[in-house]
Amino acid sequence: MEIKKLLTLVCLLTVFWQVRAQQDVLIEAESFIDKGGWIVDPQFVEQVGSPYLMAHGLGVPVANATTKVDFKNKGTYHVWVRTKNWVPGNWEPPGRFKLMINGRELETTLGVTPGWSWAYAGKTSIRSKQVEIQLVDLTGFNGRCDAIYFSQSQTQPPSSVKALASWRQDKLVENAAPEKEQTYDLVVTGGGLAGCAAAIAAAEQGLKVALIHDRPVLGGNASSEIRVHTLGIYGKYERILKMIDTEHYPNGSAEAKYDQEKRDRNVKSIKNISLFLNWRAYDAVAKNNTIQYVDARHTATGERIRFYAPRFVDSTGDAWIGFWAGAEFSYGREGVDTYGEAWDEWGELWSPETPDDFVMGSSVLWQTEKTEEEQVFCDVPWAMEIAKDHVAIAGEWYWEFSRNDLHQIHDAEEIRDHMLRAIFGSFANAKKLEEHKNVRLQWVSYLVGKRESRRLVGDHIFTFKDVAELRKFPDSVVMETRAIDVHFQRNLQDEAVPDFLSEAIFYRTEKYYIPYRSLYSKNITNLFMAGRNFSCSHIGLGGPRVMRTTGQMGAAVGLAAAICKKYNVTPREVYTHHLNEYMTLIENQQ
Amino acid sequence: MIVKSSLPILILLLLAGFRLDTEPGRKPMFFTMGEEWKLAIREREVFTFQSQDTLLYHSVSLLSDTTGNPLLFFADLETPVCADGECKLANIKIYWNLLGNYVGYGTSPKFPLTKYEHDPFDHDDYARLHHLLLDDNSILRRKKISDLVDRVPAETYKPGFGKVDGMSGATKKEIKEAVVDGGLYSCYTLWHLVHGEVKKQMIAYLESIHSEALNHYFLYTPYEDYQAYALKQLDKENFSAHTQQIISIFKEGSPLIRTYILKKMPVSVLNDQGVTAQLFGIFPSLDVNTKTLLIKKMDTADATAAQLLAKHVTAMTKNQLRNYLGFLDDNPGCLTPSVTADLMEITRSREYAYNYLIKVFFDNKK
Repeated sequence: MEIKKLLTLVCLLTVFWQVRAQQDVLIEAESFIDKGGWIVDPQFVEQVGSPYLMAHGLGVPVANATTKVDFKNKGTYHVWVRTKNWVPGNWEPPGRFKLMINGRELETTLGVTPGWSWAYAGKTSIRSKQVEIQLVDLTGFNGRCDAIYFSQSQTQPPSSVKALASWRQDKLVENAAPEKEQTYDLVVTGGGLAGCAAAIAAAEQGLKVALIHDRPVLGGNASSEIRVHTLGIYGKYERILKMIDTEHYPNGSAEAKYDQEKRDRNVKSIKNISLFLNWRAYDAVAKNNTIQYVDARHTATGERIRFYAPRFVDSTGDAWIGFWAGAEFSYGREGVDTYGEAWDEWGELWSPETPDDFVMGSSVLWQTEKTEEEQVFCDVPWAMEIAKDHVAIAGEWYWEFSRNDLHQIHDAEEIRDHMLRAIFGSFANAKKLEEHKNVRLQWVSYLVGKRESRRLVGDHIFTFKDVAELRKFPDSVVMETRAIDVHFQRNLQDEAVPDFLSEAIFYRTEKYYIPYRSLYSKNITNLFMAGRNFSCSHIGLGGPRVMRTTGQMGAAVGLAAAICKKYNVTPREVYTHHLNEYMTLIENQQ
Repeated sequence: MIVKSSLPILILLLLAGFRLDTEPGRKPMFFTMGEEWKLAIREREVFTFQSQDTLLYHSVSLLSDTTGNPLLFFADLETPVCADGECKLANIKIYWNLLGNYVGYGTSPKFPLTKYEHDPFDHDDYARLHHLLLDDNSILRRKKISDLVDRVPAETYKPGFGKVDGMSGATKKEIKEAVVDGGLYSCYTLWHLVHGEVKKQMIAYLESIHSEALNHYFLYTPYEDYQAYALKQLDKENFSAHTQQIISIFKEGSPLIRTYILKKMPVSVLNDQGVTAQLFGIFPSLDVNTKTLLIKKMDTADATAAQLLAKHVTAMTKNQLRNYLGFLDDNPGCLTPSVTADLMEITRSREYAYNYLIKVFFDNKK
């Protein structure tokens, strides 16, 4: 089955040039049959064009990734590898690797060209029909391979993302529409706490739910892959949220695996949820401001499904579904007067006079362990520009990165890579100290734990004033007591501080409420949103962005979807026509 | 200059009953400003505030120089510090600047600060307390007194070392790092006194005496919080009138004040060739966030900005370079032979990681 799927990705295209028949073969790296120690990284598909394989070995070269491909024609082929030097500079590139074809290593070292591009790996002679290809990691420091292209022509594949996308589609013989179609009552995209809660709540009410998530495990920032503990209160949804939340272990703790098992087991046990793990949505199409379907692709095999439903939940965090469908959204910090969010004590650090992009940053957590023997960690000159003389043997929430020339979505790969340099560099500094000689890196996440990105606009925009004035709403479906907690980069106050450390400003508060009207789109008629992409201002996000609160949002929209189905109404009409019944349904969850 | 412009304030303050302090004797042990405490020879009680912890009232004075210019707020505090039902008195003289920001303190040799077992603070303890009080976002800010100590047996974690059984009754680790060892409750009580309700009253008082002269004083001091306050009060016309001082703040200040200045600077100021030259000319020495804003401001700066930045392209991040090249794309008139020559030179550099983007830029122009 796996080979069949692979074969669908391998294009054998014959063209005639002069009198000689030529062939080319495109291999998507993420479709390798045996990935060895390489991992599939699908986080940056919208920017890179595809998931890619990465050698995340914490400084120890990972095992080879291997695949087999059928070639129609024997002969000499030119080989290109789409890759990048992820830290270009005046040092040896950290993510170097080589290509091995039928047991013979090509001479060219890859991972050395700046920016995602096709690196020419050399010529190879193909003498067998089935060809074994291996990626040979040389460093253990995040070498990356997006695709490999064999061609008997010397024409390099296109570079620009747009041209590349259509070239890829052509080479992979893909139709515009996915091969499969499926229909549900509710399609939830994003399996973080909000998405899980939405799926559970709706499924318990009898809705057939598709839950699409681009990782192998559920939980998003709370997952064992990112390891942020859940904070906030349960509101009216304690039973549901206890199925998916975490203990209050330190961020980054290996304890996260126990809650991971609990969460996955619980969600999988609910019969009306069809779970699509390792599927990443890549499009949502609206007609007359109503979403018709969401298209998703398997992150390794490339298989595609079109998901139809009368209603959709955007719990992607980055608001991709709303973005593709044309929903109104915001990004960045509003000017202080936009919603009257001044807090003089903190001035510009809290809310600026004029809008800007100093949003809260993303974190990459990491852990070390002490062993009985001395552990060696190599020099990482390419990391020291970031780490400088900072010394650390573990990360925490304040390992966070935001910069006003970097967009938390479009530049997420650079943000992740910046954090990797901060981690490896700070750890290398620590290893120079006698007290840390037996310490080794145990775990470094390669996933970006985001705090803030796009926010979809609903009928109500939740702001600082809703908290400061403790406003109650007829449709208060989420409640929270946790302080508004807005972060800024420490280097704004003192540029000598490493740029990957942040500080928090807390606005303490009594219980406050979020209205249901912040959980559906203002202009897309059948779109709910739950999670950090709900309808709020930058400051409004500060409190409810923690995961029990976003989980409450998910549960609230899951229940609203049940009312929508019962009366065949839009999310807005739940508020305008069925509010009492909806609020009673929520009340009965306890 | 300050004396001249402060004359109306002096008269106002004298009329309001300021008195000459005949017993200065307030030499602080720690003081982060310059000579203000020495110049502040007049003292006048201006309000009292209530401690949220002890409910006691304390009086706050405004200190002024000989001519009545306000310089500092000051309080000679005596407060009980209680732990486990036992209370001791702490005596401390606190200085705040006119924005209510803590700037220093002193103690009387007769009444040293003490720890749990009545041991007096040593010099390092006093320094640590000063450091703590300077941190207006200390972890103590968001802790109740009941949160300071683990009262019940608890599991604690050490990063990377798994789960370890912890002892109960100990100062929480994160707090311990911030406070004087053995002086937890003194630190907690004093931090909340210094940064509590009193600050709001000092701000309110400042607003009641604020004047153009005082704003001028703030703008021309070397203190960034004063400068930021003054900049916030400036309208367009006043901004122009103080351009040179604002540029010097821009050069010396933190990224926060630099970005504020750039965002607020009127177009009529920025598009002056001299101003453009001064701001864009120091591009390499600026912090990364200010650089980004400066590039974004090119369209409202003088046309020479593009030429100035062409000399400093190697100090740009990838996205900054993209924005710069995007500006040149949108404003072909700025892509002068000189700019082109500078950029071509960089494409030959082996040091600059993103020179490939410049090559692509020129390739696209062919």
